[in-house]
Amino acid sequence: MATFDSLFPGMLLDSASRFAQDHVSTEVTGDPVRELGWTATIVPEEAGGVGASLADLASIVEGVASYGLHLPVVEACGVVPVLLQAAAPDVAKRWLEAVAEGSAQIAPLTALSASLDEATVQAKHLDIGFELDGEVLGADASLPASHYLVPAQLEGDLALFLVDAERIGAPAASYRTMEGARGADLKLAKLSVPEGACIARGAAARDSLVAADNVALLLNGADTVAALSALIQHTLAFLKERKQFGVQLSTFQVLRHRCAEMYLKYMGAKGLVIHCFHEHEAGAADLRRTLRLAKVSLAEAARFCAEAAIQSHGGMGMSEEVLATRLAQRLLGSEFRYGDRLAHVARLLAPQATAAEGRNVSNLTGSAR
Amino acid sequence: MSIDYAAFRRELEEFARKACPPEIRAVVAAGQKVTKREYQAWQKICNAKGWGAPSWPKEAGGTGWDIKQRLIFEEVMAESDCPPLYHHGLGHIGPVIIRFGTTEQKARLLPRILDGSDWYCQGYSEPGSGSDLASLQTSARREGDEYVINGQKIWTSHAHEANMIYMLVRTSKEPKKQDGISLLVVPMDTQGITVRPIKSIDGWHHLNEVFFDEVRVRADNLLGEEGKGWTCAKYLLERERLPPANVARLELVRRQVTRLVDEAAAAAGARRDFSTLRHKLLLCEADVKGARVLMANATDDMIHQRPLGVQPSVIKMICGECAQRLTTIALDAVGPQAAQRFLADAGEDVAEATWIQNYMFTRSRTIAGGTAEVQRNVVANELFGA
Ligand SMILES: Cc1cc2nc3c(=O)[nH]c(=O)nc-3n(C[C@H](O)[C@H](O)[C@H](O)COP(=O)(O)OP(=O)(O)OC[C@H]3O[C@@H](n4cnc5c(N)ncnc54)[C@H](O)[C@@H]3O)c2cc1C
Repeated sequence: MATFDSLFPGMLLDSASRFAQDHVSTEVTGDPVRELGWTATIVPEEAGGVGASLADLASIVEGVASYGLHLPVVEACGVVPVLLQAAAPDVAKRWLEAVAEGSAQIAPLTALSASLDEATVQAKHLDIGFELDGEVLGADASLPASHYLVPAQLEGDLALFLVDAERIGAPAASYRTMEGARGADLKLAKLSVPEGACIARGAAARDSLVAADNVALLLNGADTVAALSALIQHTLAFLKERKQFGVQLSTFQVLRHRCAEMYLKYMGAKGLVIHCFHEHEAGAADLRRTLRLAKVSLAEAARFCAEAAIQSHGGMGMSEEVLATRLAQRLLGSEFRYGDRLAHVARLLAPQATAAEGRNVSNLTGSAR
Repeated sequence: MSIDYAAFRRELEEFARKACPPEIRAVVAAGQKVTKREYQAWQKICNAKGWGAPSWPKEAGGTGWDIKQRLIFEEVMAESDCPPLYHHGLGHIGPVIIRFGTTEQKARLLPRILDGSDWYCQGYSEPGSGSDLASLQTSARREGDEYVINGQKIWTSHAHEANMIYMLVRTSKEPKKQDGISLLVVPMDTQGITVRPIKSIDGWHHLNEVFFDEVRVRADNLLGEEGKGWTCAKYLLERERLPPANVARLELVRRQVTRLVDEAAAAAGARRDFSTLRHKLLLCEADVKGARVLMANATDDMIHQRPLGVQPSVIKMICGECAQRLTTIALDAVGPQAAQRFLADAGEDVAEATWIQNYMFTRSRTIAGGTAEVQRNVVANELFGA
């Protein structure tokens, strides 16, 4: 029997799925990510968090993705805690605690489409404090933020700043993203920030940005596999139900084969994502390369399945009122988060670049089941 | 008298340059959605020049141009970033009226298509009847000199801005489902018609559901014979699948996408690898060249009333799939800048995101007007014998 087993089953998946299912056709209001306590998931226990593994966070990502709900779980619950750990222990602890209990709403101020270590903001050291200058196009803006974590170029290296959202102000423009989430352009025009806003620089900042980017790629992979699974199941159900020419669409061989092909791609993607989690857990030397490879391959699978599902639904496939269509949009949108395939291929095919990336970066989170 | 095609092309080029307003050409050049406003303005301009219907015979108010002139017209208009002429009136229902309409209907309906006063939408598909169009249920019963229509149509493009709909209705129940179908033209402001928008994936509004509740129209809105609408529908569909503007427009899109890829590659430098996109672009270039010849041959057959066979299905597939590949290349080129900035809240266009909208919309090229699977069934039936 063909199975659609979840990547990371368990109670977290069930509760996230239930929440997503309840909100599948209503607009999400408030800040469920914090209200449900998801931001505490991978925050270490000593900082007031749950101290759970990345696989546990992936369960939540899966649950949310299966119903096409757009919430920045990867960013708020994955990227932010990893980045904060780059700070000095006391600073990190204080902010991690605030994140875990939801009293600080921290979001990364990065273009969702780019790798986290590709900072577009420039930082300059002044007599007192720093000056930040630059713009971030297409950041996630789905939830309110009290603070932003801003990666920036500082004196030829990377640095990480934690800045009050009020200082940064309102977005220059806001958008509906391709999959129906909220996006924003934010401009920092010679923004002065105090000395303490710089929470990490040099190797600490660089390593944490790479580690956070790895986490983002992993979770983005889990998101893709979950959306693929749901997309295929919805397509199968539609083809079994809808009749044309007096018979179920599922009796047409061409549609059956296409669904079989979608399933093969899904299973391949799932195997690959599990492999990535294992590599991450093992702190594999070429983790970065594997994750880039996965991004390229998952994009291919996602594109194929999204287009196949739209086509199989006929006119219904063109309508956003259909969940399978929204899942297809989500899959297409996921391709463009944390580096598109053209960017990852460029890195994979540039031998020097990938060799340099091969060095192991600290594995800040826990295990895959 | 032989035609000087070079002089004809020059005349068209000058017309396109001078007569087509820059704001309309800007919309086309940017790959944005052409709306009723642009279509209608351009139709009026072309009609004033006597070129309102390049494909119609002279006696119906058309140009009477030969095939080569028609192709030159399509090419020059595409090259000059002029919009295509609106298809539902000129390309779909117009030819049906010319072929099946009464003298009175021709006099009443054709001039209004020519001058852009009438703006048609197509009411074929129904919630339960898509690929199996002949299973349609919307009914029209005859009462005196009126038809009374009840039922629902779906995926009706432009219904929200059209003032006329041509629609297939069931006028009787027959053992063979193709029998008992009739073709009506109905003013959209008739009492009992409700239009509901459908949110489509590209962020543009074109799709609608249309509901008919005891809608009464004069019986002289019946085209062809009662119960013989399927013949008209098939005649129309053949023409629908062969939109003559396709290849010229495809070449326009190919050039736009090539430019887009060049710009994106220059901006990204070594950070993104565009070699696969360039490879795919070359294949599209080859496809367009081949399709151009196929289209010319098919158009010639159409004009000389020779049977078209599977040509419309073949050409629809080649051009539709090529359009999909081109817009997919565009999606890959602009994705990182545009995916998170798809539709601006402030309403102004995000130039790159228009290509994502085009990518999304172009998914419908293998669905609307007969899906890819159904077209392949048509071709396979021809190859193997049904
Ligand atoms: C953008 C857009 C604009 C449109 N505009 C109009 C319009 O203006 N007016 C109008 O009347 N209609 C319009 N349509 C409707 C269009 O013609 C139908 O969507 C189309 O005929 C397919 O029907 P369906 O959507 O019911 O799909 P279905 O018939 O339900 O098909 C679903 C899937 O099953 C496949 N399938 C069906 N039968 C077979 C078979 N025998 N063998 C193999 N596979 C099969 C299809 O290929 C498709 O993949 C539009 C559609 C779109 C998407």
